[in-house]
Amino acid sequence: MDPIVYVSLGAALAAGIAGAASAFGVGIAGAAAAGVVAEDEKNFKNALILEGLPMTQSIYGLITLFLILMVSGILGGGFKFTDPNSMDHIVKSAILLGAGLTVGLTGLSAIPQGIIASASIGAVAKNPKTFTQGIIFSAMAETMAIFGLVGALIMIVTGVGF
Amino acid sequence: MEPGAVSGILDTTLAVVFTWVGYKTARIIWKYTPYSYPNARIRAMEAKLLSEQRFNELAESRTLQNFVVSLEDTEYKDYLAGVSDYTVEEIERALERALAGTYELMVRILPKRSAPFFRLMLEEWDVRNVASVVKAKLAGEPASDYVMKIGTMLPKVKAIAEAKTMEEILVVLEGTPYEEPYQKLLLGEISPEEFETELYRRHYNKLLSYALSKKEDERIILEEFVRLKIDKLNILTVLRAKAAGMSAEDIRPMLIPGGSVRLDPLLHVDDLSMALAELDSTRYGPVIRDVREEVERDLGVLERALDRHILERMNELSRFYPLSVAAPLGYILQKEREVRKLRAIAKLIEDGVEPERIKELAGDAA
Repeated sequence: MDPIVYVSLGAALAAGIAGAASAFGVGIAGAAAAGVVAEDEKNFKNALILEGLPMTQSIYGLITLFLILMVSGILGGGFKFTDPNSMDHIVKSAILLGAGLTVGLTGLSAIPQGIIASASIGAVAKNPKTFTQGIIFSAMAETMAIFGLVGALIMIVTGVGF
Repeated sequence: MEPGAVSGILDTTLAVVFTWVGYKTARIIWKYTPYSYPNARIRAMEAKLLSEQRFNELAESRTLQNFVVSLEDTEYKDYLAGVSDYTVEEIERALERALAGTYELMVRILPKRSAPFFRLMLEEWDVRNVASVVKAKLAGEPASDYVMKIGTMLPKVKAIAEAKTMEEILVVLEGTPYEEPYQKLLLGEISPEEFETELYRRHYNKLLSYALSKKEDERIILEEFVRLKIDKLNILTVLRAKAAGMSAEDIRPMLIPGGSVRLDPLLHVDDLSMALAELDSTRYGPVIRDVREEVERDLGVLERALDRHILERMNELSRFYPLSVAAPLGYILQKEREVRKLRAIAKLIEDGVEPERIKELAGDAA
């Protein structure tokens, strides 16, 4: 494959997988939120906060997409790795693909985060005192996405550079 | 390494990673997403279950009118709206409708892969209704007094209660799962007690078959639930029979297959005390140990202890599998307990029992 394909794929997968995972996560938590609000409208505020937690992975994906497009020159200039026979170009474009894939795959944590948020929404509806605990449990899944983002940043900065 | 080889390795890695991740993600989504809405809603409904303090307040109602008014800020309000004469029968019917409404809600909101189980559970009320109405008919009692307004075939149950002859009942039951046992009863091949056992046997067999047809968490939870229910019925049957001095041969046809406890050793002991000692080594040992002395005086204590055990087990499972069918099952059990307690309070108020005594007795009823 051409280096441009790897770079584009890296950018697309970072934002695409993380975005899709966030959509699923928010969807799962949103269904739970609708369930508790159907029983009591007072649950709306707590449910809304918990429902929004799986959304962050899509932001990490978007940040990575911009970074990949910037360092590869697709955004703001000409594409830097044009030669498909140059090992350097292949490796650098593969690093960008890896960075995108890392954020995309760790962004899948939005799905289990949605599941945890969904269970927490139910728990908070039953006992509002568990709201903080629910946030903490749900935020734990976020850690993996942050690791992914940090890893991707290191890969981009040290492997390709600005 | 050639650039082509590097590209090849990258492409293969991508294909493998995406296949694996796609499969795992799809499984997680398929497994948990359908329970997200119902289970959260059920948790919110659990928050609305009546507290002990509310039951105590209801016990102090003194009149059935006050009792109904006290329930106006609960979800029973809609069901009690039609109550005008404030008789205990009318209130009981409203509470039964509320319970039926809970079952129907479960069928509506749960995913298709577990909703039919609640429809099957609702059929237990058909079994109770058919058995008690037929037994009342045979005893020459007014059968309509025994009809509980809950179940999947209420019109047929009412028709049975209004039937003028026993043969007419057979026509009503035609095409239902109860037709064959009823035919046997009419021909005198089985006694009314055996008829009732046969109905329960068929019902639990249906529930167990459904549970065993499921996979993973659902199978674990549903199977455990059905086996616990069967165990409860069998243990109570054996202990009641032992208290009445019945022999193993007489008890065996009354048992429902499919439970998790081996009941053979129990059948051959001489009395209730020995039967309880025999149960001590089973999984129900800790449940019985706590209430052993009271059980020897009143088997109703054990029935309530076993009900509590089933509920605790479902709660345990719902903590382990938060997005599963365990939460709805636990809720149904709690709702049944609540309705049972409300009915008991209503009856005691009608009988003019003092509030303090009602609190004690209603606690026992649950």
